[in-house]
This record gives sequence, structure tokens and C-alpha cells, in this order.
Amino acid sequence: MTLLQAKGLTVTFGATNVVDGIDFEVRPGGTLGIVGESGSGKSMTSLAIMGLLPSSATRAGSIDFAGTELTKVTERQMRAIRGDRIAMVFQDPLSSLNPYYTVGTQIAEAYRSHRSGVSRKAARAAAIEAMDRVHIKDAGKRVDDYPHQFSGGMRQRVMIAMALSTEPELIIADEPTTALDVTVQAQILDLLAEVRRDTGAALILITHDLAVVSEVADDLIVMRHGRVVETGTAEQIFSDPQAPYTQALLDAVPRIDDSIGDLRPVPGGPA
Amino acid sequence: MTLLRARNLVKEFDVAGTAGLVKPARRFTAVDHVSFELHAGQTLALVGGSGSGKSTTARLAARLVDVTSGTVHLDGQDITALQGGDLLEVRRQVQMVFQDPFSSLNPRHTVERIVTAPLRYQKRPVPGGVRTVARSLMERVSLNPDHSDRYPAQFSGGQAQRIGIARALAVGPRVLVCDEAVSALDVSVQAQIINLLRGLQAEEGFGCLFIAHDLAVVRQIATNVAVMTGGQVVESGSRDAVFDSPQHEYTRRLLAAVPRIRPEWEAARLRNAGRVREPQ
Repeated sequence: MTLLQAKGLTVTFGATNVVDGIDFEVRPGGTLGIVGESGSGKSMTSLAIMGLLPSSATRAGSIDFAGTELTKVTERQMRAIRGDRIAMVFQDPLSSLNPYYTVGTQIAEAYRSHRSGVSRKAARAAAIEAMDRVHIKDAGKRVDDYPHQFSGGMRQRVMIAMALSTEPELIIADEPTTALDVTVQAQILDLLAEVRRDTGAALILITHDLAVVSEVADDLIVMRHGRVVETGTAEQIFSDPQAPYTQALLDAVPRIDDSIGDLRPVPGGPA
Repeated sequence: MTLLRARNLVKEFDVAGTAGLVKPARRFTAVDHVSFELHAGQTLALVGGSGSGKSTTARLAARLVDVTSGTVHLDGQDITALQGGDLLEVRRQVQMVFQDPFSSLNPRHTVERIVTAPLRYQKRPVPGGVRTVARSLMERVSLNPDHSDRYPAQFSGGQAQRIGIARALAVGPRVLVCDEAVSALDVSVQAQIINLLRGLQAEEGFGCLFIAHDLAVVRQIATNVAVMTGGQVVESGSRDAVFDSPQHEYTRRLLAAVPRIRPEWEAARLRNAGRVREPQ
């Protein structure tokens, strides 16, 4: 039983395959971590699922989402899925929010665009409820605040509230905590875990941070240069990595509880 | 002998848009009575969240920003208010490495010109010519010296950061200020740059002021740590003291929040790889 299954997924710019025939699957309610360094193709993979690739890119292969082949649907059908059944949370909440509208307006707009016939009043109530669910205090008041009146962590909560408002089956989070301070990062990761527990949504977490993924993901794919170098449960990959690249990557991660001699750099990459 | 000593550093900024015709602007205290000492061969890490004042503190100590009050001593000499030629001498002793290697390198200059620029600004004699100096600097940071006529865009992020380090080393500084110098790099490249900085410090004995938000990186590179929040140092001490028995509530919260690879998985991995890490 899978919620989303990608087979031979390929993203091509000109003559370069930035994602090169990768396979993976997401179980309903499960968490798939996609880890890799810059240029590994992890973000392009998420944009390929959402149908948000730049126009200069071409997509090949298959993405089956709960029985719907996403590579075959029309843009109109995709718009009905995107933001409704599949929601996305990006790295930088400030650039994903419109500074001219209150956060409540933006959450309500996202909600109404997928729920035809919902009144403004009901959408506003849904926005407040979503903000409540991500633990924004005084949601009834803060719903009328503008993005700049929120801290970075609070803005990311707003983005998660927006993603949640339509009760999606899948949330794709691309580096959701990378721009945040470590204490705030921990809160947002806890929130994502709680949301999954409460709503049963599946999560694809895209990150360069192995420690973050180890705390959150059930399953893992490790990407490099557009290919999957290793796939398995998080426990398998962290406790017994098979690919030399994964082994090298795990060796290169600085450990907070331990100061070792020289870190072991990953061979073969750019210096 | 203390290399760099900061005493009661205070930096206030005017809050934009709060000044009236006669009413002075509201002031924001970014750095609030911060003191520290840096010795030769040591790496003092300033850690804290965003807005904690760690970068401003480093800039005050490097005389890139003027203090509101407080003093900075370099080798016992008060450098807090030096200007002109005297300040130039401070620049020779204190150099910086920045976070984003590309925005801190002029894209229109060759590597040779970039790494030797501090010598030019200092109007210092260049023994053996610019080419020779550039080549030797590039070798010290493990870059191919034959690439000295290339431009920054022709290098990867990690290589560009090596260029930034080479430039900082050109004048033989005694203090190196690294402001989030490895934060923008991939973990594999980060490891190389950390190793490079450690190696260079062992060879040259400079003192390093290392600003970072990533505590795991700090654990690998620092000898001493000062934890900042709200413009103040709330805890400081030797690295292992701060990490292993944090005294201040904020430090504890900060350390607890750092994501960690599950210890049981970590132990299993080392067992499976036939490498058992000795307990500390």
C-alpha cells in the first residue's frame, strides 16, 4: 500500500539529468526523508511531484499519487491536487508569504481556492482553527496580523497552518527548518511530528541535515548527483549504511556530543 | 599573554524610522557589556541564535564597527579608537573570513588579485612578486596554484571559501575572525574547511574568533566557547566545560535543541563498520 510512488522519475535541463531515473515511495501516514547535498536533485524531485518545475525543465517517468498519474494530469487537474491533497512548506517562510496581506487572508484564500462555496466567514474560521492547531497563541487576534509582525519560527507555523487547512494527504517540506535558529527548529520539527500524528498526513522531508532527518523520518533515500545512492528505513541507513557515499557523509557530520580528530571529508566531491 | 582583550563592549544602533525632528531615535543595544579574552593558538567560539549579537561583537573586536563604549586591546595596546595608519596596522594583525564565499570575493578579479589584495592595500613589499606569493598562498589552502588566473565563479563553494581564507592569511594575521565561515557549505565540504582551519592554526598559531550558530561545528573547532543571547554573554568557558556541564539555563536549552543522530543507531553503525569509538 503506497500513497505516492515514483518510478524512473527524471528531470532534465538541456542535456543534463538533474534527477536521473529515481524510484521511491511514500506510505500513507509515513515520513520519507530525502537527503543530499547541494546539487543532488532533492529539491527538483519535490518540484517534479508538485508539477512546479521551471519551464526549461522536462519531466519523465511516472508519479502515482493514490491512483492518479501526476505526469498525465492536466494543469487544471493538478491545481486541484496541489495545495489541497498535496501541500508544500518551503524553506523561507518570508518569501512564501505576501507582505501586503494579513496571514489570515492568505490562509483563508488558500482554503477557499480548494473549497468552492465556502463563505469568507467560514474560511476565516478555518484559518483561525488552523493557526490554533499549530499553536499560534491568540490565533483569533493574530489572524489579522501581517507577515512582518511574526518571527521566523512563527511564520513557518503560519506556512504549516496554510498547508494543513485543506487536510492534505501528503505534505512536502523542503528544508523547513534550515533558516531557523536551533531552538525554533526543534519546535517546528515537533510540530510537524504532531501534525502527522493528529491528521495522519504523510510527509516528505527534504533536507541536507542528517541529524534532522534521523529524528523525523521512517524511510530514507540518499541522493547524489541526481541519483539515489541508497534507500531503506532510517534505522537501516543510519545503523548500517551500505553505499560508500552514505558512509562518508555520516563520517563527515560534526557531532555535538563528541569531539573527534580530523573529520573525514567525503571523497570524490568538489573540494 | 592575551592576544585580544575586549572589555565591556557596548554597541547601540538607532532604530530606523524612530527619530523625530527633535526627538532622538530609539536606541537598540545589540551588544551589551561583553568581555572576553583570546589567546594565541586558541579558538574562541561565539555562539548564539540570530540576533544574539555574536556577529556585531566580532566586528567590534575586529574594528570593523566602532564601539559605543568599552575597549579592545590587541597585544596590550588599546586599539579602540585608532584611525588612519595605526588602524591599518590593526588590519594587518586582524583578518576576517566571511560566510558567503562568493559575495565576499570580487567576481571580476582573478584569484591572484584577490588573495594578494591585502598586501596591496597595506602597501607592503611583495617578496618574489605577486605571482609567487599568490601561488604559495593557494598551496597553503590546498588549491591548485596553476588556477591563480581564474575567477571566483570558476570555483565551487568550498574552493571559494579556501580563496577567502588564503586572502585572510596573506598579511600573516595574528587574529583570524571567522563569521559563520562554514555555515553555507555542504557537510562534506564543511569537514574539509574545518580541518583546513585547524591545520593552519596549528602551523601558524593565530588566535581565532569563530562565530557560529552550529554547535556541532563549534564542538569540533573551538577551544573556548562564549554563549550569547540578547547581546550578553551568559556563559563562557573551555569548550568541554560548556558542552558537558552547561551552567546557564539558556545554554542547556540550546544544547538540548540540537538535533542528533540517534545514539543507538550511531553505536550500531560504528560496530558494523568495525570502528568502535572510545568513550570520552
